[in-house]
This record gives sequence, structure tokens and C-alpha cells, in this order.
Amino acid sequence: MDAIAELTAEQGYDATKIGDIVRRAGVARKTLYDNFEGKEEVFLAAFDAAFDEAMRRIEADCAKVEGGWEERVQAGLAAFLGYVAEQPALARMCMIEALSATPAATERYEDALQRFVDLTKQNVPHDDQLPETIEETLVGGVAWIVYQQIRRHEADKAEDLLPELSEFMLAPFHGAAEAAQKRASA
Amino acid sequence: MERLPRGRHGLSREFIAQNQRERLLAALAECLDERGYDGTTVSMIGSRAGVSKSDFYKQFESKDACFLAAYDDSVERIRERVRAACGEGRDWATGVLAALAALVDLLAAEPAQTQLVLVEGLRAGRGVYDRYQEGLQSFVPLLRDGAPSPAGGEPPPAATDEAVVGGIASLLARRVLAGETEKLADFLPEIAEFALTPYIGAAEARRVIAER
Repeated sequence: MDAIAELTAEQGYDATKIGDIVRRAGVARKTLYDNFEGKEEVFLAAFDAAFDEAMRRIEADCAKVEGGWEERVQAGLAAFLGYVAEQPALARMCMIEALSATPAATERYEDALQRFVDLTKQNVPHDDQLPETIEETLVGGVAWIVYQQIRRHEADKAEDLLPELSEFMLAPFHGAAEAAQKRASA
Repeated sequence: MERLPRGRHGLSREFIAQNQRERLLAALAECLDERGYDGTTVSMIGSRAGVSKSDFYKQFESKDACFLAAYDDSVERIRERVRAACGEGRDWATGVLAALAALVDLLAAEPAQTQLVLVEGLRAGRGVYDRYQEGLQSFVPLLRDGAPSPAGGEPPPAATDEAVVGGIASLLARRVLAGETEKLADFLPEIAEFALTPYIGAAEARRVIAER
């Protein structure tokens, strides 16, 4: 699974062949087929493993926070960006290659995005006045900024985005004006 | 798009080529909408457009090349519409609101083009990532230019413009995937509030939107 992440990050999903994967992983072709049906299965398994690990870290770090919702959202975002920085190949595989790999991979990506939307909803204060889709647009916006960071080959510096992205995520929930006042007095 | 008459018609070669090109681009968008990128072939595009395979290859080197041309064409058309609408506002906020309204109206009215731009662009594979990214980024200045800061505050963080544009694209793409292209205009108040709030605050954003 590490091999497919590295290879798709380097050359894309279509160009990656089973032969490349077994060579990179140093396993026999038979071993691969004992464990997976084919390339797509390896890819999806690697995607699931990476996403599960990201979720595990995010939830663990959110749970550690004793402060309020703002600290929780910030801790979750920090855990996510930290994982991207630590695993650039996995990040590229999940956030870029998955979109064009296969229809099943695209569906995984959409489901993952939805999980982040749900997680955000659970952690922010409810506000009737806000657009119903606010969490979706926020998560989509964060994903777009991280997508570009990965494409610039700067995934290892993803944590630099934390201040801007957490302010972007938090602002709608305590009012942009208030956020700006905080900045001015900081 | 109408086919041209057969036989002697006195139309110039350039005119015919241009007409064929436009028909092929429209046919590609329709095929993609129905079958996705991988399921679309050069023959399908040609027969839908009423253009022979050899004429297809006079216009485009490959399906990929046709896709890129269709993509660029569509993004350009959307951007021009949005840019024109920006100028209709009496200030920045009403301009952005008019631009977003023009955007969702156009997207809802042309489902095949919308599928091409918002969904297939990210999914067509490596060659198209740059196009998608450039296409989306080209909307950022339309939002940023002339944007004010909330009353008495600092401007929003630098990533805000891009994150707002990316967030709107993501929401709209998800709705297209869910088969709700025709209802995209319903999301105008929500995406407008999302876009305006970082710059003018939630209360002012709601006032501007309610006025429309």
C-alpha cells in the first residue's frame, strides 16, 4: 500500500502498473494477488488506511482539548495538516489522484469530504442564521487550499497554513467583525 | 447546434471548420454528461456532432485535445459572463452578488457544460489538473479586486479569496454530482453569504442579499 501511494504520487494512477507496485514493495506478484484483486483494490485499501489514520488522529486530538469549540476545531485542523505534512505521498494520493483514478476512488473522496463536513458540524456552535451549507463550503475551501499546497510540492509545509485556515473556518461562527477585532488587538 | 447543408452551399472553408469545431465541442460536453470521460470515444463525439472521424482529426489531435479545448472554451464563457455581471453592481458587494447570481443561473441552464467544468475537470486526469486549477484561480481576482475589510477591522487572511472560490466550486460540484444541477440557483443566498461575510461581516452581507 505504501508502494502504490508513492507510485501514484510520482506518476499518476493510470501510469502505475501492478509490476511497478510489486517491484517497489519488494513482494512477489502472487503475494499481491493473494491479498488484493488488482490495482484498484490496492489503491482503495491504501486510501481507506490513510483516511482512517487521518480521522483517528483528528478525533484523538479534538478529544484532548479541554477548551471550547474554537480550540477543538483548531486542534482538528492542526492534526489534519500535520498528517498531510508528515505523509506527502499519501496526501497526494488521497486528495489529488483519487479524484481521477476510478469511479470508486472518486466516491471514496466524496465520502471522505462528507465525513469532514459532519465532523465540522459536530464541533461548531449551531447558528440558525448561517447558511445551511456553511460547513460544506468551508471544508471545500480548506480542501482547495490544501490541494494547491500539495500540487506545489509543498505538502511538507502544510502546517504553515494553520493560522489562515483556522481563522477561515472559525470566522463564520463568531462573526467576521469579531474575528477582525481579535486580530487587530493581537 | 444546427448542421450545415450538404453539397454546394458557397460557405467558406474557414466557416465550415469553425462550425464543425463548435459542434464537436458541444457534442463532447453532451457525451461526457451522459457517459463520463472514459466512456466517451472519438466516434461518439463525431457522430453526435455529425462530423466524420477524419474531420474530427483535422480539428483535434485526440479526445484529450478536444476535451481541453472544450474545457477552456467553457471556462472562458462562464468567466466572461461572471465578469460582465460584476460590473453591474453599484459597489463591490452588489457586484459580487450579481456575479454569483449570473454564475449559478448559467450553470443551471447548461447542465452539460456545468458537468464538464465542475466535475470532469478534476476527474479527467493528470493533463487537466493545471487547467482546472488555472480556471478556478482565474475567478479569484474577480472576488478580490476592490474587496473591502469589515468595518473597523483588518482585512481577512490572505488565503480567504482562494478558499471562498474553492469552497463555492466544491459545493456546486457536489450538488452537480448529486444530480441537482438545475437547482443550483437555489443556493445563491447561501454562497453569497459565504462569499461576502469575510469582507463585510455577516449582518451587512445578509442585508445586501435580502435587498436583491
